[in-house]
Amino acid sequence: MNIDMANGDQFRELIEAYALGALDPQQRASIEAHLATGCADCTKALDEARWVVSQLAYLAPEVQPSEMLRGRLLQTVRAEAHAAKPARPASAIPFWMWGAVAAVLLFTIYSSWETVQLNRTIQETNAKAQAEIAKRQELQEQFAIAQREAVILTDPRSIKIPLGTDNKQMPKMEAVWHAKLGIVVSGLNVPAPSGTLTLQLWLIPKTPGSKPIPSLTLRPDARGRFVLLVANPPDAIESTKALAITEEPAGGSAQPTTKPIWLGAIG
Amino acid sequence: MGDEEAPVFLALLANIGASFGASLGVDPQSGEVSLDAALVQSLLRQDVNAFEQLYDRHSRRVYTLVLRILQQAATAEEVVQDVFLQLWRNAAAYEAGRGPFVPWLLTLARNRALDHLRLKSERQRRREDQTDEMPPVVSAPEYEKELDERRRVERVRALMGGLLPQQKRAIELAYFEGLSHSEIAVKLKEPLGTVKSWIRNGLLRLKEGLQTPS
Repeated sequence: MNIDMANGDQFRELIEAYALGALDPQQRASIEAHLATGCADCTKALDEARWVVSQLAYLAPEVQPSEMLRGRLLQTVRAEAHAAKPARPASAIPFWMWGAVAAVLLFTIYSSWETVQLNRTIQETNAKAQAEIAKRQELQEQFAIAQREAVILTDPRSIKIPLGTDNKQMPKMEAVWHAKLGIVVSGLNVPAPSGTLTLQLWLIPKTPGSKPIPSLTLRPDARGRFVLLVANPPDAIESTKALAITEEPAGGSAQPTTKPIWLGAIG
Repeated sequence: MGDEEAPVFLALLANIGASFGASLGVDPQSGEVSLDAALVQSLLRQDVNAFEQLYDRHSRRVYTLVLRILQQAATAEEVVQDVFLQLWRNAAAYEAGRGPFVPWLLTLARNRALDHLRLKSERQRRREDQTDEMPPVVSAPEYEKELDERRRVERVRALMGGLLPQQKRAIELAYFEGLSHSEIAVKLKEPLGTVKSWIRNGLLRLKEGLQTPS
Protein backbone atom coordinates (compact mmCIF):
# COMPACT_ATOMS: atom_id res chain seq x y z
CA MET A 1 0.00 0.00 0.00
CA ASN A 2 1.29 3.46 -0.87
CA ILE A 3 0.83 5.37 2.26
CA ASP A 4 2.21 8.55 0.80
CA MET A 5 -0.99 9.08 -1.16
CA ALA A 6 -3.05 11.91 0.26
CA ASN A 7 -6.12 9.76 0.02
CA GLY A 8 -8.11 9.34 3.22
CA ASP A 9 -9.44 5.92 2.16
CA GLN A 10 -5.94 4.55 2.10
CA PHE A 11 -5.35 5.70 5.66
CA ARG A 12 -8.74 4.49 6.81
CA GLU A 13 -7.49 0.92 6.33
CA LEU A 14 -4.75 1.60 8.84
CA ILE A 15 -6.83 3.32 11.47
CA GLU A 16 -7.70 0.19 13.52
CA ALA A 17 -4.13 -1.06 13.52
CA TYR A 18 -2.92 2.42 14.47
CA ALA A 19 -5.38 2.55 17.38
CA LEU A 20 -4.15 -0.87 18.43
CA GLY A 21 -0.51 0.24 18.21
CA ALA A 22 0.32 -2.48 15.70
CA LEU A 23 1.70 -0.31 12.91
CA ASP A 24 5.36 -0.36 12.09
CA PRO A 25 7.17 2.95 12.70
CA GLN A 26 7.05 4.17 9.09
CA GLN A 27 3.32 3.57 8.73
CA ARG A 28 2.67 5.12 12.10
CA ALA A 29 4.56 8.27 11.14
CA SER A 30 2.65 8.54 7.88
CA ILE A 31 -0.79 8.21 9.43
CA GLU A 32 0.10 10.67 12.15
CA ALA A 33 1.12 13.13 9.47
CA HIS A 34 -2.22 12.57 7.75
CA LEU A 35 -4.18 13.01 10.97
CA ALA A 36 -2.29 16.24 11.53
CA THR A 37 -3.93 17.59 8.37
CA GLY A 38 -7.25 17.51 10.23
CA CYS A 39 -8.99 14.80 8.18
CA ALA A 40 -12.39 14.66 9.90
CA ASP A 41 -13.31 11.18 8.65
CA CYS A 42 -10.08 9.61 9.83
CA THR A 43 -10.24 11.45 13.17
CA LYS A 44 -13.76 10.16 13.76
CA ALA A 45 -12.78 6.64 12.70
CA LEU A 46 -9.76 6.76 14.99
CA ASP A 47 -11.91 7.81 17.92
CA GLU A 48 -14.21 4.85 17.34
CA ALA A 49 -11.30 2.47 16.84
CA ARG A 50 -9.70 3.61 20.05
CA TRP A 51 -12.93 2.92 21.87
CA VAL A 52 -13.07 -0.61 20.45
CA VAL A 53 -9.45 -1.23 21.37
CA SER A 54 -10.06 0.04 24.91
CA GLN A 55 -12.67 -2.69 25.33
CA LEU A 56 -10.00 -5.36 24.83
CA ALA A 57 -8.83 -4.71 28.37
CA TYR A 58 -11.84 -6.73 29.57
CA LEU A 59 -10.38 -9.89 28.03
CA ALA A 60 -7.84 -10.19 30.83
CA PRO A 61 -8.73 -12.58 33.68
CA GLU A 62 -9.50 -10.62 36.79
CA VAL A 63 -6.93 -10.46 39.55
CA GLN A 64 -6.97 -8.38 42.72
CA PRO A 65 -3.87 -6.32 43.56
CA SER A 66 -2.36 -6.69 47.00
CA GLU A 67 -3.38 -4.54 49.94
CA MET A 68 0.27 -3.55 50.28
CA LEU A 69 0.08 -1.76 46.96
CA ARG A 70 -2.93 0.21 48.17
CA GLY A 71 -1.12 1.05 51.41
CA ARG A 72 2.03 2.21 49.62
CA LEU A 73 0.09 4.36 47.20
CA LEU A 74 -2.06 6.02 49.82
CA GLN A 75 0.97 6.67 51.99
CA THR A 76 2.73 8.37 49.09
CA VAL A 77 -0.35 10.36 48.11
CA ARG A 78 -1.02 11.50 51.68
CA ALA A 79 2.59 12.61 52.06
CA GLU A 80 2.45 14.57 48.81
CA ALA A 81 -0.89 16.13 49.73
CA HIS A 82 0.49 17.15 53.11
CA ALA A 83 3.62 18.62 51.55
CA ALA A 84 1.52 20.55 49.02
CA LYS A 85 -0.62 22.26 51.66
CA PRO A 86 0.08 26.00 51.69
CA ALA A 87 1.49 27.50 54.84
CA ARG A 88 -1.24 28.88 57.11
CA PRO A 89 -1.21 32.70 57.09
CA ALA A 90 -0.27 34.43 60.32
CA SER A 91 -3.74 35.97 60.67
CA ALA A 92 -5.38 32.57 60.62
CA ILE A 93 -4.33 31.65 64.13
CA PRO A 94 -7.16 29.55 65.55
CA PHE A 95 -9.09 30.66 68.61
CA TRP A 96 -7.71 27.89 70.74
CA MET A 97 -4.20 29.19 69.99
CA TRP A 98 -5.09 32.58 71.45
CA GLY A 99 -6.46 30.75 74.48
CA ALA A 100 -3.19 28.90 74.78
CA VAL A 101 -1.23 32.19 74.51
CA ALA A 102 -3.42 33.75 77.22
CA ALA A 103 -2.92 30.71 79.42
CA VAL A 104 0.84 30.91 78.97
CA LEU A 105 0.77 34.64 79.78
CA LEU A 106 -1.27 34.10 82.94
CA PHE A 107 0.98 31.27 83.92
CA THR A 108 4.04 33.49 83.40
CA ILE A 109 2.56 36.28 85.55
CA TYR A 110 1.56 33.81 88.21
CA SER A 111 5.00 32.22 88.08
CA SER A 112 6.67 35.63 88.48
CA TRP A 113 4.46 36.51 91.44
CA GLU A 114 5.08 33.08 92.87
CA THR A 115 8.82 33.58 92.39
CA VAL A 116 8.74 36.93 94.23
CA GLN A 117 6.75 35.38 97.04
CA LEU A 118 9.08 32.46 97.16
CA ASN A 119 12.16 34.72 97.26
CA ARG A 120 10.57 36.70 100.07
CA THR A 121 9.81 33.55 101.97
CA ILE A 122 13.34 32.33 101.39
CA GLN A 123 14.77 35.63 102.68
CA GLU A 124 12.54 35.53 105.76
CA THR A 125 13.44 31.93 106.36
CA ASN A 126 17.13 32.75 105.96
CA ALA A 127 16.82 35.64 108.42
CA LYS A 128 15.03 33.41 110.91
CA ALA A 129 17.66 30.77 110.41
CA GLN A 130 20.44 33.30 110.94
CA ALA A 131 18.71 34.53 114.10
CA GLU A 132 18.27 30.99 115.29
CA ILE A 133 21.89 30.26 114.55
CA ALA A 134 23.01 33.43 116.38
CA LYS A 135 20.75 32.59 119.28
CA ARG A 136 22.06 29.08 119.36
CA GLN A 137 25.64 30.37 119.23
CA GLU A 138 24.83 32.77 122.04
CA LEU A 139 23.30 29.98 124.05
CA GLN A 140 26.29 27.83 123.30
CA GLU A 141 28.58 30.62 124.39
CA GLN A 142 26.48 31.19 127.49
CA PHE A 143 26.52 27.48 128.13
CA ALA A 144 30.27 27.40 127.67
CA ILE A 145 30.64 30.33 130.03
CA ALA A 146 28.34 28.73 132.56
CA GLN A 147 30.22 25.46 132.18
CA ARG A 148 33.52 27.25 132.67
CA GLU A 149 32.17 29.21 135.59
CA ALA A 150 30.88 25.98 137.12
CA VAL A 151 34.28 24.35 136.78
CA ILE A 152 36.00 27.40 138.24
CA LEU A 153 33.58 27.51 141.12
CA THR A 154 33.78 23.80 141.90
CA ASP A 155 37.36 22.95 141.13
CA PRO A 156 39.27 22.39 144.41
CA ARG A 157 42.32 24.02 142.89
CA SER A 158 40.42 27.28 142.59
CA ILE A 159 41.10 29.94 145.19
CA LYS A 160 38.18 31.73 146.81
CA ILE A 161 38.66 35.42 147.35
CA PRO A 162 36.02 37.11 149.57
CA LEU A 163 35.45 40.72 148.56
CA GLY A 164 34.63 42.81 151.62
CA THR A 165 33.37 46.37 151.79
CA ASP A 166 33.40 49.22 154.30
CA ASN A 167 29.90 50.27 153.20
CA LYS A 168 27.52 48.44 155.43
CA GLN A 169 24.70 48.95 152.93
CA MET A 170 26.60 46.98 150.35
CA PRO A 171 26.57 43.20 150.30
CA LYS A 172 29.70 41.16 150.25
CA MET A 173 30.91 39.60 147.00
CA GLU A 174 33.10 36.67 146.19
CA ALA A 175 35.67 35.94 143.55
CA VAL A 176 37.00 32.49 142.66
CA TRP A 177 40.25 32.31 140.70
CA HIS A 178 41.36 29.25 138.77
CA ALA A 179 44.91 29.52 137.60
CA LYS A 180 44.05 28.19 134.15
CA LEU A 181 40.36 28.97 133.59
CA GLY A 182 40.12 32.52 134.94
CA ILE A 183 38.21 34.43 137.57
CA VAL A 184 34.52 34.31 138.42
CA VAL A 185 33.13 37.25 140.39
CA SER A 186 29.57 36.99 141.69
CA GLY A 187 27.25 39.02 143.88
CA LEU A 188 23.70 39.18 145.24
CA ASN A 189 21.57 42.22 146.07
CA VAL A 190 24.15 44.53 144.66
CA PRO A 191 22.66 47.98 144.01
CA ALA A 192 23.15 49.26 140.50
CA PRO A 193 25.64 52.13 140.23
CA SER A 194 24.01 55.52 139.80
CA GLY A 195 23.57 57.04 136.36
CA THR A 196 25.85 55.68 133.72
CA LEU A 197 28.48 54.55 136.18
CA THR A 198 29.61 50.97 136.10
CA LEU A 199 31.52 48.62 138.36
CA GLN A 200 35.04 47.63 137.27
CA LEU A 201 37.32 44.83 138.50
CA TRP A 202 40.99 45.58 139.21
CA LEU A 203 43.98 43.34 139.85
CA ILE A 204 46.39 44.74 142.46
CA PRO A 205 49.89 43.45 141.69
CA LYS A 206 52.25 42.20 144.39
CA THR A 207 55.07 44.32 143.09
CA PRO A 208 55.37 47.36 145.29
CA GLY A 209 54.51 50.64 143.58
CA SER A 210 52.74 48.91 140.68
CA LYS A 211 49.47 50.39 139.51
CA PRO A 212 46.21 48.42 139.59
CA ILE A 213 45.61 46.48 136.39
CA PRO A 214 42.16 47.11 134.84
CA SER A 215 39.89 44.20 134.09
CA LEU A 216 36.26 43.84 132.97
CA THR A 217 33.33 46.04 133.88
CA LEU A 218 30.06 44.71 135.22
CA ARG A 219 26.53 45.78 136.08
CA PRO A 220 24.14 43.76 138.29
CA ASP A 221 20.71 42.91 136.89
CA ALA A 222 17.42 44.35 138.12
CA ARG A 223 17.47 42.12 141.14
CA GLY A 224 21.08 42.96 142.00
CA ARG A 225 22.60 39.73 140.80
CA PHE A 226 25.63 39.30 138.61
CA VAL A 227 28.20 36.71 137.65
CA LEU A 228 31.30 37.95 135.84
CA LEU A 229 33.74 35.63 134.12
CA VAL A 230 37.20 36.92 133.43
CA ALA A 231 38.43 34.16 131.13
CA ASN A 232 41.82 35.76 130.55
CA PRO A 233 42.94 37.73 133.56
CA PRO A 234 45.48 40.45 132.71
CA ASP A 235 47.94 39.03 135.21
CA ALA A 236 48.72 35.70 136.89
CA ILE A 237 47.35 34.82 140.27
CA GLU A 238 50.88 34.40 141.65
CA SER A 239 51.67 37.99 140.74
CA THR A 240 48.45 39.41 142.13
CA LYS A 241 48.08 40.55 145.69
CA ALA A 242 44.41 41.45 145.75
CA LEU A 243 41.22 42.12 143.69
CA ALA A 244 39.27 45.38 143.93
CA ILE A 245 36.00 46.75 142.47
CA THR A 246 35.41 50.44 141.95
CA GLU A 247 32.74 52.58 140.41
CA GLU A 248 33.91 53.98 137.09
CA PRO A 249 32.44 55.88 134.19
CA ALA A 250 30.65 53.82 131.49
CA GLY A 251 33.12 51.72 129.53
CA GLY A 252 35.59 51.52 132.39
CA SER A 253 38.82 53.29 133.08
CA ALA A 254 42.50 52.65 132.56
CA GLN A 255 43.21 53.69 136.14
CA PRO A 256 40.81 53.75 139.10
CA THR A 257 39.06 57.10 139.45
CA THR A 258 37.40 56.20 142.78
CA LYS A 259 38.31 54.33 145.90
CA PRO A 260 37.50 50.58 145.90
CA ILE A 261 34.08 49.65 147.23
CA TRP A 262 35.00 45.95 147.44
CA LEU A 263 38.46 44.59 148.16
CA GLY A 264 39.73 41.05 148.70
CA ALA A 265 43.26 39.81 149.34
CA ILE A 266 44.54 36.67 147.71
CA GLY A 267 45.87 34.00 149.98
CA MET B 1 -24.08 6.45 34.90
CA GLY B 2 -24.30 2.97 36.33
CA ASP B 3 -26.94 2.11 38.91
CA GLU B 4 -24.34 1.44 41.57
CA GLU B 5 -22.85 4.92 41.15
CA ALA B 6 -26.01 6.95 41.63
CA PRO B 7 -26.22 7.17 45.43
CA VAL B 8 -22.54 7.93 45.80
CA PHE B 9 -22.79 10.50 43.08
CA LEU B 10 -25.72 12.30 44.63
CA ALA B 11 -23.91 12.44 47.94
CA LEU B 12 -20.81 13.73 46.24
CA LEU B 13 -22.69 16.44 44.39
CA ALA B 14 -24.25 17.56 47.63
CA ASN B 15 -20.79 17.92 49.11
CA ILE B 16 -19.28 19.61 46.10
CA GLY B 17 -21.92 22.29 45.67
CA ALA B 18 -23.57 23.82 42.63
CA SER B 19 -20.73 26.15 41.61
CA PHE B 20 -18.32 23.25 41.32
CA GLY B 21 -20.71 21.12 39.30
CA ALA B 22 -20.54 23.50 36.36
CA SER B 23 -16.88 22.65 35.74
CA LEU B 24 -17.31 18.87 35.77
CA GLY B 25 -17.24 16.62 32.76
CA VAL B 26 -20.48 15.55 31.18
CA ASP B 27 -21.26 12.03 30.14
CA PRO B 28 -21.85 11.98 26.38
CA GLN B 29 -24.84 9.68 26.66
CA SER B 30 -26.66 10.68 29.78
CA GLY B 31 -25.63 14.30 29.93
CA GLU B 32 -24.83 13.82 33.58
CA VAL B 33 -21.67 14.49 35.45
CA SER B 34 -19.96 11.18 36.12
CA LEU B 35 -18.71 10.19 39.53
CA ASP B 36 -15.27 9.44 38.11
CA ALA B 37 -15.10 12.88 36.54
CA ALA B 38 -16.05 14.47 39.86
CA LEU B 39 -13.44 12.47 41.70
CA VAL B 40 -10.72 13.31 39.20
CA GLN B 41 -11.69 16.95 39.50
CA SER B 42 -11.22 16.63 43.25
CA LEU B 43 -7.68 15.35 42.70
CA LEU B 44 -6.79 18.82 41.43
CA ARG B 45 -7.42 20.01 45.01
CA GLN B 46 -5.17 17.27 46.39
CA ASP B 47 -8.19 15.41 47.75
CA VAL B 48 -6.79 12.15 49.11
CA ASN B 49 -10.25 10.72 49.75
CA ALA B 50 -11.14 11.18 46.10
CA PHE B 51 -7.96 9.37 45.12
CA GLU B 52 -8.79 6.56 47.50
CA GLN B 53 -12.23 6.18 45.93
CA LEU B 54 -10.83 6.17 42.41
CA TYR B 55 -8.28 3.56 43.39
CA ASP B 56 -10.86 1.35 45.02
CA ARG B 57 -13.17 1.64 42.02
CA HIS B 58 -10.60 0.88 39.31
CA SER B 59 -7.41 -0.64 40.71
CA ARG B 60 -8.59 -4.21 40.17
CA ARG B 61 -9.29 -3.65 36.48
CA VAL B 62 -6.05 -1.73 35.97
CA TYR B 63 -4.02 -4.38 37.76
CA THR B 64 -5.73 -7.15 35.83
CA LEU B 65 -4.74 -5.54 32.55
CA VAL B 66 -1.19 -4.71 33.57
CA LEU B 67 -0.58 -8.18 34.98
CA ARG B 68 -1.89 -9.76 31.78
CA ILE B 69 0.63 -7.73 29.83
CA LEU B 70 3.64 -8.11 32.13
CA GLN B 71 2.92 -11.59 33.51
CA GLN B 72 4.81 -10.76 36.69
CA ALA B 73 3.00 -9.62 39.82
CA ALA B 74 5.72 -7.47 41.39
CA THR B 75 6.42 -5.62 38.16
CA ALA B 76 2.70 -5.24 37.53
CA GLU B 77 2.19 -3.64 40.94
CA GLU B 78 5.06 -1.29 40.25
CA VAL B 79 3.45 -0.18 37.00
CA VAL B 80 0.01 0.14 38.60
CA GLN B 81 1.57 2.34 41.24
CA ASP B 82 3.13 4.49 38.52
CA VAL B 83 -0.22 4.76 36.74
CA PHE B 84 -2.14 5.92 39.80
CA LEU B 85 0.60 8.28 40.89
CA GLN B 86 0.57 9.74 37.39
CA LEU B 87 -3.17 10.20 37.75
CA TRP B 88 -2.69 11.83 41.17
CA ARG B 89 0.03 14.17 39.98
CA ASN B 90 -1.44 14.99 36.58
CA ALA B 91 -5.19 14.68 37.00
CA ALA B 92 -5.70 17.63 34.66
CA ALA B 93 -4.62 15.39 31.77
CA TYR B 94 -8.03 13.74 31.91
CA GLU B 95 -10.47 16.08 30.20
CA ALA B 96 -13.78 14.86 31.52
CA GLY B 97 -15.84 16.63 28.88
CA ARG B 98 -14.25 14.64 26.06
CA GLY B 99 -15.10 11.15 27.20
CA PRO B 100 -15.46 8.61 29.99
CA PHE B 101 -12.70 8.03 32.48
CA VAL B 102 -12.26 4.26 32.52
CA PRO B 103 -11.19 3.73 28.88
CA TRP B 104 -8.74 6.58 29.29
CA LEU B 105 -7.33 5.10 32.48
CA LEU B 106 -7.03 1.64 30.94
CA THR B 107 -5.29 3.07 27.89
CA LEU B 108 -2.87 4.88 30.17
CA ALA B 109 -2.23 1.64 32.07
CA ARG B 110 -1.70 -0.36 28.90
CA ASN B 111 0.73 2.20 27.50
CA ARG B 112 2.76 2.16 30.71
CA ALA B 113 2.81 -1.62 30.86
CA LEU B 114 3.88 -1.95 27.23
CA ASP B 115 6.56 0.70 27.79
CA HIS B 116 7.83 -1.40 30.65
CA LEU B 117 7.72 -4.54 28.56
CA ARG B 118 9.60 -3.06 25.63
CA LEU B 119 12.33 -1.27 27.44
CA LYS B 120 15.46 -3.23 28.04
CA SER B 121 17.14 -1.48 30.91
CA GLU B 122 15.92 0.06 34.14
CA ARG B 123 17.86 3.19 33.37
CA GLN B 124 16.18 3.58 30.02
CA ARG B 125 12.78 2.94 31.57
CA ARG B 126 13.21 5.69 34.07
CA ARG B 127 14.35 8.17 31.47
CA GLU B 128 11.34 7.49 29.29
CA ASP B 129 8.96 7.61 32.22
CA GLN B 130 9.82 11.23 32.60
CA THR B 131 8.66 12.06 29.10
CA ASP B 132 5.64 9.75 28.87
CA GLU B 133 2.68 11.40 27.30
CA MET B 134 -0.81 10.90 28.62
CA PRO B 135 -3.21 9.20 26.22
CA PRO B 136 -6.00 11.13 24.56
CA VAL B 137 -9.47 10.89 26.06
CA VAL B 138 -11.72 8.85 23.79
CA SER B 139 -15.35 9.77 23.54
CA ALA B 140 -17.84 6.95 23.84
CA PRO B 141 -19.52 6.21 20.47
CA GLU B 142 -23.20 6.79 20.02
CA TYR B 143 -23.98 3.10 20.12
CA GLU B 144 -22.23 2.67 23.46
CA LYS B 145 -24.52 1.98 26.38
CA GLU B 146 -23.73 2.19 30.00
CA LEU B 147 -22.99 -1.32 31.13
CA ASP B 148 -21.79 -2.49 34.45
CA GLU B 149 -18.37 -4.09 34.36
CA ARG B 150 -19.60 -7.68 34.59
CA ARG B 151 -21.82 -7.33 31.53
CA ARG B 152 -19.12 -5.46 29.65
CA VAL B 153 -16.65 -8.27 30.30
CA GLU B 154 -19.16 -10.89 29.20
CA ARG B 155 -19.96 -9.03 26.01
CA VAL B 156 -16.35 -8.37 24.96
CA ARG B 157 -15.32 -11.96 25.67
CA ALA B 158 -18.29 -13.30 23.78
CA LEU B 159 -17.55 -11.14 20.76
CA MET B 160 -13.86 -12.04 20.78
CA GLY B 161 -14.79 -15.70 21.17
CA GLY B 162 -16.73 -15.40 17.94
CA LEU B 163 -13.61 -14.43 15.94
CA LEU B 164 -11.38 -16.85 14.16
CA PRO B 165 -8.73 -18.12 16.53
CA GLN B 166 -6.00 -16.59 14.38
CA GLN B 167 -7.76 -13.23 14.42
CA LYS B 168 -8.15 -13.34 18.14
CA ARG B 169 -4.52 -14.44 18.63
CA ALA B 170 -3.18 -11.68 16.38
CA ILE B 171 -5.23 -9.01 18.14
CA GLU B 172 -4.16 -10.26 21.58
CA LEU B 173 -0.48 -10.26 20.55
CA ALA B 174 -0.87 -6.66 19.46
CA TYR B 175 -2.89 -5.54 22.44
CA PHE B 176 -1.29 -7.42 25.32
CA GLU B 177 2.28 -7.78 24.02
CA GLY B 178 2.52 -4.61 21.98
CA LEU B 179 3.71 -6.38 18.83
CA SER B 180 3.53 -4.72 15.46
CA HIS B 181 2.12 -6.30 12.27
CA SER B 182 5.59 -7.40 11.24
CA GLU B 183 6.44 -8.87 14.64
CA ILE B 184 3.16 -10.77 14.77
CA ALA B 185 3.74 -12.13 11.26
CA VAL B 186 7.13 -13.42 12.32
CA LYS B 187 5.82 -14.87 15.55
CA LEU B 188 2.87 -16.63 13.88
CA LYS B 189 4.87 -17.45 10.75
CA GLU B 190 2.15 -15.99 8.60
CA PRO B 191 2.33 -13.49 5.70
CA LEU B 192 2.28 -9.82 6.76
CA GLY B 193 -0.78 -9.06 4.65
CA THR B 194 -2.69 -11.88 6.25
CA VAL B 195 -1.90 -10.61 9.72
CA LYS B 196 -3.01 -7.10 8.80
CA SER B 197 -6.29 -8.45 7.47
CA TRP B 198 -6.87 -10.59 10.55
CA ILE B 199 -6.38 -7.67 12.83
CA ARG B 200 -8.42 -5.16 10.87
CA ASN B 201 -11.29 -7.50 10.16
CA GLY B 202 -11.30 -8.77 13.71
CA LEU B 203 -11.53 -5.27 15.15
CA LEU B 204 -14.24 -4.33 12.68
CA ARG B 205 -16.26 -7.38 13.72
CA LEU B 206 -15.76 -6.46 17.35
CA LYS B 207 -16.99 -2.97 16.58
CA GLU B 208 -20.04 -4.33 14.84
CA GLY B 209 -20.75 -6.58 17.78
CA LEU B 210 -20.48 -3.69 20.21
CA GLN B 211 -22.88 -1.69 18.06
CA THR B 212 -25.45 -4.47 18.16
CA PRO B 213 -27.84 -4.29 21.09
CA SER B 214 -27.26 -7.23 23.43
